[in-house]
Amino acid sequence: MELIIRTEEDMNKLGETLARILNKQDVVCLHGVLGAGKTTLVRGIARGKGYQGRVTSPTFTLMNIYQAQEPIHHFDFYRLEGADLIDLGMEDYLQKELCLIEWPEVGSGVLPGEAMHIYISLAEEDYDRERLVQIEAGGEEGRRKIKELEQIVDTGC
Amino acid sequence: MNDINILGIETSCDETAAAIVKNGQEILSNIVQSQISLHQKFGGVVPEVASRKHIETITAVTQEAFARAALTYQDIDAVAVTHRPGLIGALLVGLSFAKSLAYALGKPIIAVNHLHGHIYANFLENPGIAFPCVCLVVSGGHTSLLYMPSHHEYHLIGETRDDAAGEAFDKVARFLGLAYPGGPSVEKAALQGQPGLYKLPRIFLDRDDFEFSFSGLKTAVMNLWRKLEKSGEADVNNMAAEFQAALVEVLAEKTLHAAKKFQVKTVLLAGGVAANSLLRSTIAEKAQVQGMQVFYPSLSLCTDNAAMIAGRAYVQYMRRDFAGLDLNAYPGLLSL
Repeated sequence: MELIIRTEEDMNKLGETLARILNKQDVVCLHGVLGAGKTTLVRGIARGKGYQGRVTSPTFTLMNIYQAQEPIHHFDFYRLEGADLIDLGMEDYLQKELCLIEWPEVGSGVLPGEAMHIYISLAEEDYDRERLVQIEAGGEEGRRKIKELEQIVDTGC
Repeated sequence: MNDINILGIETSCDETAAAIVKNGQEILSNIVQSQISLHQKFGGVVPEVASRKHIETITAVTQEAFARAALTYQDIDAVAVTHRPGLIGALLVGLSFAKSLAYALGKPIIAVNHLHGHIYANFLENPGIAFPCVCLVVSGGHTSLLYMPSHHEYHLIGETRDDAAGEAFDKVARFLGLAYPGGPSVEKAALQGQPGLYKLPRIFLDRDDFEFSFSGLKTAVMNLWRKLEKSGEADVNNMAAEFQAALVEVLAEKTLHAAKKFQVKTVLLAGGVAANSLLRSTIAEKAQVQGMQVFYPSLSLCTDNAAMIAGRAYVQYMRRDFAGLDLNAYPGLLSL
């Protein structure tokens, strides 16, 4: 599905809506250039899951854990270029607890095929303008969730 | 009283470091094996590479620390180690090494918070710093303002909502095609440029609190840069100068505002970004007008090192604040 997001607040709201369809087995990969709004979307999801604390960029620590109703793992592979991910211990969390992954590209060999992928792009490479958000899923369950999302979200299109 | 020699071990990010400090004051040795050249080709720290290099170098670095201090293993009174925050794999290398050494020597082990170490770097060089103080910790992973009534009390009064200041330097440098680490390369480019020719926002400057946000500044740089490129006016030096000015102005104003609000006469800077000369001079000038004293560590003690860990550990040693051999490492801050 595709949506148009016009403000940071709307990106937060989309996250809050996404929180309603995501549960602890889900893996969500967030694609988009620096400053596209990936962390903002994660913040919205965390809020939607009842977490009121800080949601900051995990670029330095690679993973933040938010103690929401159920733990949320916020990964960032921005600094992992060229390295393998096996030793990061991700298998302890993947498909067991909700995992939200920024810069997932280097992890494509490790991440499950059923993962949901969210692509955030800038309209005409202009940061001042709206964001185009595309949501895709690899598995049957993910596609069912996207259908559910389509019922409850304002696509802005 | 007998002299207390503490061995410090630090492996939280890209430096493998060991140091021996006497009585929390005198640096007998301070060895830092940097991995920066190794990570430069990746444009950032590669955690797995970091862990492996720590394993390869930690024994030699520690032996060198003893050799330079002209001490034997039995001459130390405790082993101190950074246990949080940092890259978990990297932290565990230092932690396992320190625990094994402490166990073998029958010495106590002291767990040191990396940020407390950064702050303590100021006390290593300036023993007479008066409390209470306000401290700005700025690095690749942190942007925090603290109120410290004493050596043992850290009150977090504000921090970043999104990206750390050092992270913004690194990301902006990479975007502009400048070298890693971003702090020195942006600073160098800024010297050739002029702030104010491009206009970037001073985010949260108008707010009456101590929160920071640098993600928006990063986005503003990229947005403006894209537009300048299209019109053919993009000058990397002028952009670096304006970016640095915007970031420093917010850090300096908030720090001084905190110092006034908490009525302190002492301001401390700590962490890798405290090596930035514009940040140092801006805060120093503003503080002087207010009659406050500003301290910042010398350049070699701003970036990650083990002397600050061994120094900080002395304060904990005097309180018998020892850890057990079940000590674990934690990537996050949890608490200050």
